[in-house]
Amino acid sequence: MAEFAWDAAPPLGGVFVAGRSGAAAGSPGVRLEERRGLSLVQVMAHRGKWPAVEAAAESLFKAKPPARPAALFADRATLVWSGPGQFLILGAGDGFADPLAPYAQAFREAASLSDQSDGRALIRVSGRHARDTLAKVSSLDLHPAVFPVGAAAATSVDHTNVGLWRAPDAADGAPVFDLLVFRSFAPSLWERLAASGAEYGVDSAAGDFSEAA
Amino acid sequence: MADIAHSPAALKRAEAEAAAKPRARGASQARRLAGGGLIDRQKPLSFTFDGKRMSGFAGDTLASALLASGVGLVARSFKYHRPRGVLTAGPEEPNALVELRTGARLEPNSKATTVELFDGLVAKSQNRWPSLRHDVGAVNGALSPLFVVGFYYKTFMWPPKAWEKLYEPAIRRAAGLGSASGVPDPDHYEKAWAHCDLLVVGSGPAGLSAALAAGRAGARVILCENDFMLGGRLLSDAFEIDGRSGAEWAQGAIDELAGMPNVRIMPRTTVFGGYDGGTYGAVERVGDHLPQPSEHQPRQRLWRIVAKRTVDASGAIERPLVFPGNDRPGVMMAGAVRTYLNRFAASPGRRVAVFTNNDDGWRTAQAVLAAGGEIAAVIDPRGVPEAFRMAAAGWRVIEGEVVGTKGTLDALTSVEVADARGGVVTVPCDVLAMSGGWNPAVGLSSFHRGRPVWKDEIAAFVPGKCPTGLTVAGAAKGDLSLGACLQEGFSAGAKAAVEAGLSGSPGEPAQAADEPVAVRALWEVKAPGKAGQKAGQKAFVDFQHDVTADDVRLAQREGFESVEHLKRYTTLGMATDQGKTSNVNGLAILAEAKGEKIPETGTTIYRPPQVPVAIAALAGPNRDEHFHATRLPPSHHWAAKRGAVFVDVGLWKRAQWYPLAHEKDWLESVNREVLAVRNGVGFCDVSTLGKIDVRGRDAGAFLDRVYINTFSSLAVGKARYGVMLREDGFVMDDGTTSRLAEDHYFVTTTTAKAGPVMQHLEFCRQALWPELDVQLASATDQWAQFSVAGLKTRDLLQNLVDPAEDLSNEGFPFMAAREVKLRGGMRARLFRISFSGELAFEIAVPARFGGSLAENLMQAGAAFGVTPYGTEALGTMRIEKGHAAGAELNGWTTAGDLGFGKMMSKKKDFIGRVMAGREELQRPDRPAVVGVKPLNPADRLRGGAHVLPRNAKLGPDTDQGFLTSVCFSPVLGRWIALALVARGRERHGEVVRIYDPLRNGDFEAELCNPVFYDPEGARQRG
Amino acid sequence: MRINCPFCGEREIGEFSYLGDAAPRRPAYAAEGPELAPEAEEAFFDFVYLRDNPAGEMREHWYHGGGCRAWLVVTRNTLTHEIRTTEPAPGAGASERAA
Repeated sequence: MAEFAWDAAPPLGGVFVAGRSGAAAGSPGVRLEERRGLSLVQVMAHRGKWPAVEAAAESLFKAKPPARPAALFADRATLVWSGPGQFLILGAGDGFADPLAPYAQAFREAASLSDQSDGRALIRVSGRHARDTLAKVSSLDLHPAVFPVGAAAATSVDHTNVGLWRAPDAADGAPVFDLLVFRSFAPSLWERLAASGAEYGVDSAAGDFSEAA
Repeated sequence: MADIAHSPAALKRAEAEAAAKPRARGASQARRLAGGGLIDRQKPLSFTFDGKRMSGFAGDTLASALLASGVGLVARSFKYHRPRGVLTAGPEEPNALVELRTGARLEPNSKATTVELFDGLVAKSQNRWPSLRHDVGAVNGALSPLFVVGFYYKTFMWPPKAWEKLYEPAIRRAAGLGSASGVPDPDHYEKAWAHCDLLVVGSGPAGLSAALAAGRAGARVILCENDFMLGGRLLSDAFEIDGRSGAEWAQGAIDELAGMPNVRIMPRTTVFGGYDGGTYGAVERVGDHLPQPSEHQPRQRLWRIVAKRTVDASGAIERPLVFPGNDRPGVMMAGAVRTYLNRFAASPGRRVAVFTNNDDGWRTAQAVLAAGGEIAAVIDPRGVPEAFRMAAAGWRVIEGEVVGTKGTLDALTSVEVADARGGVVTVPCDVLAMSGGWNPAVGLSSFHRGRPVWKDEIAAFVPGKCPTGLTVAGAAKGDLSLGACLQEGFSAGAKAAVEAGLSGSPGEPAQAADEPVAVRALWEVKAPGKAGQKAGQKAFVDFQHDVTADDVRLAQREGFESVEHLKRYTTLGMATDQGKTSNVNGLAILAEAKGEKIPETGTTIYRPPQVPVAIAALAGPNRDEHFHATRLPPSHHWAAKRGAVFVDVGLWKRAQWYPLAHEKDWLESVNREVLAVRNGVGFCDVSTLGKIDVRGRDAGAFLDRVYINTFSSLAVGKARYGVMLREDGFVMDDGTTSRLAEDHYFVTTTTAKAGPVMQHLEFCRQALWPELDVQLASATDQWAQFSVAGLKTRDLLQNLVDPAEDLSNEGFPFMAAREVKLRGGMRARLFRISFSGELAFEIAVPARFGGSLAENLMQAGAAFGVTPYGTEALGTMRIEKGHAAGAELNGWTTAGDLGFGKMMSKKKDFIGRVMAGREELQRPDRPAVVGVKPLNPADRLRGGAHVLPRNAKLGPDTDQGFLTSVCFSPVLGRWIALALVARGRERHGEVVRIYDPLRNGDFEAELCNPVFYDPEGARQRG
Repeated sequence: MRINCPFCGEREIGEFSYLGDAAPRRPAYAAEGPELAPEAEEAFFDFVYLRDNPAGEMREHWYHGGGCRAWLVVTRNTLTHEIRTTEPAPGAGASERAA
């Protein structure tokens, strides 16, 4: 029997065409990027074990995990709060290797881990009209004074759970937001974002998580 | 007095223009003043009204362009079809409603006073036939003694059957104002959120002052203005602020605000509602002023604005006077006359009479003179107020009241005035500017059940207890004079900034004098006039719904004494203008009729929206295929490529069947798919089933408490079917749960209940049993999980899994569950569970490989004729096996009804155990799941058909249940069904009557074992 | 309406769902065998069906399902919708409490 090929299909594969859409005049006001190739582990502390979780995270990432809504950009991963006693470890992954393996030992006594690498899609919204675009889908106040770099929220978009955080600004100073959404909803959310940004001009792209800043 | 419309510079410019191109466009704008106005005479616009070509300028409203073109008759009233003109210059307009645009964009009941003129605008009068000038419906006016208040309730009562067939269709044809387009709206709409420290509603002197103070202090400010131009009454009146004209000051304020990055100015935005927690609803008319919206822009945008503080500076609305003949075209609000003259340089008429009970009306006389018009008379029951003694020298002033009007269909020719000595004089004029005083706009401030309070000094209601966080400033608060508006707005803005925690300086408030605003209440003119008496002229209170002062009194006599009852009985204030010009007059007349004071009578309750909001704006982008978000399972693209037909299952799109080119209908495809599974092997994407990772030291104990059966005893590597109840004892959901590790269970739910079950489990974990160590994570989207079923399943899987894996009946027995390796280096989970009744496995790989899994299953099964199948075949096979699903787990069946009574553990507490034991839920005649097959195999069963005893008389007392799930069984070659039937389990073999009156079904069938196929279950264990 | 989630901060009502009165406590009863304590059914009947309907302050269960998935106890005035306090349900955030 021949070997079987396993091709990773990104959640938004075939959903959009990279390049310009919406208003054509001027430079695009918003950039939508699917960040592919995720490893995503949900860490859920055992009852009363948050201190142990902190210790384990520090040993792995040299940083305390967020205990309140926040995103932390550590050397090897991004840690994003996802609920009381919970956070997500975001890194690069090809889907073949078990994403829990690097962390299972450290958290063994402290937390339950759940593999979400294929359960979510990551969409990056950036550009000078990123906030205007997101205001059409999100009820959050994303004003820079209220939602600085590193702020995060577990929230809803279109009645769907979304993790939303602000990554460091782009080189041109424009804000950068990451939206983590259930994989099955991702095409629907992408279309809403593209439609919401259309009046500003949209630049769509796909990028690999491991290559992104 | 400085006059913005006639500033020297504007006048000179206008004269120069007029000299350059005399009468260039003036021919069609006979009533356009030669100079002045805040219109752009360099941008002429052309439009049509009732097919007639007319012109106006950028900056015009449709109403101002019609007035400038000399159009007096604009509309017909609702009930009596009376000729009506333009009454106001704002959103309170009751009369000048038109149908705007054509085709799919046609929009009825557009207020001409708020429609911003654009080139090519098409407007049509409405509520008339065959034309505005010759309207057959006007006969209603002659028959008005018949059309008394409560007419419908009193007249169309008998005979009862006539209502549906005769009266209602006739009334529906005659009633209603404009007509709808009848086709889908071609534009798109958006919703958006905004957040601020301070929301300012209205951009008149108070609103601009509030925004300036808060903006300078550093607060995040949103300034909403309903109009397309900011400034409020500063655009219409000749005011002086800080030594400049009001309009110039406003422009300066707007420029300053526009330069602040913390201030967002939103013109064409109406705040229509206030909600709990400082949330406000607003509609931004992004494209209403364009022939069609710009590409990529919505027609309208619905805003939800979250504000820490709100300043309501929405101003005041001028009150009409109630006198005989007060609805004739040419009778206008005095403030509106100033607006048309000063802001739009449009003259409603040359000879203007003013009828006022307050000082503000006198300013209209001054504006008329300044615009080169003529004062026919100023009529004021108070005589000449002290403040105007100088200005009024040489004017004809009558201390008295207007008691009748005369004119043609579209113009006023004279008014009858009863003077203080009892004489009646005729005053020729073409406009009557009336002012009954000003009502603060108390809509926004009275939401949340606030009740406005009466203020004698201005003879109007002012805001009472306001919603939390909202402050009212200026005219909206009843402080009508300019100086007060500026000061209050400023203070409110500065205070809001401090409360938002900002310490910047608000600067200095603008200064202006307080003009005289004295008023003496006059609710209704009763002195009889000759014309009024002879013609029996009506005195209107609600112009849009044709409610007169007599109607209000009649309603009161008939017992509708509460203001809420009056409103509903007479429809006063229930038209599209929501009584903005009529409510206070109506309840004042009611109070008088009852012999009460006005505050005793009180107001109706204010509720949002305070202006009509298009349903399309409320729906936003959620319409048609975007009505709700869509979820796509991992094999979606693969299935689409194969030409699958999709079905909506909740939010999911699932493959329903995979038609082949030669197949003539769905049933042929589905039968092929079922037989392919039963005789060979097939696969189906079941990733939509809810999947929950349940982890933690107490995971097993936790599941024992939420399922009727036991899971703590389940061995690692095994799966078990489970049923969950609600606490009231009825079934909530079912599914298989596998134990993957000592502290790791993998729970599956039905597709429909994934969300509710997660919520329920979180409740149990967090609210009921916080002592348990349990963690929950949704894993629904993580796994591409396919059911592989049929005789040849093992053969297929053997090709796909790593050769080291043992899939034999011993190595992987029924209900085993564990991780396996697949060829090509893929990790997977394999569960030996069967929904189809065949030898079956469910195989799961990370979702990104879902497409590959489908391809690889096709490849691995090619030799065995592997066939992908959809939800129809899945459903058919589960019905053939008698498995309960959504139609049986319908919220009112118990575990016993579904045949799971024996699964209910008696050794532990679990959710629903006690309530499920109630006597009523143990009754032997409860419905039970049973199979149904027609005696004549050709008879077609349909879901919902009733089950009755054989030969029973039809009736609810003989009804014993109904068919829940129906399919054509290709294995049995006939239609079969599952049904919930009283005592069903004891009645296998009994012949019953199947009755389906909606679809002409009435035949006999046999009740049977619901497991139609392989009742011993040998195949799935093989 | 806006609810101040103790974990997330203030959020709009659409992220939450309402369950109802937080006062009733699920009865505890012995359930080792087929026979239930005779008072169990009545106690559960109360727990499942009987609710006060106060005009004024009420402690209610709300679920922040559109956010952090915490169950909350919200003290809300049913007349004015004013919310006085929002607290986590006993097991929400249990990782930070002693085991």
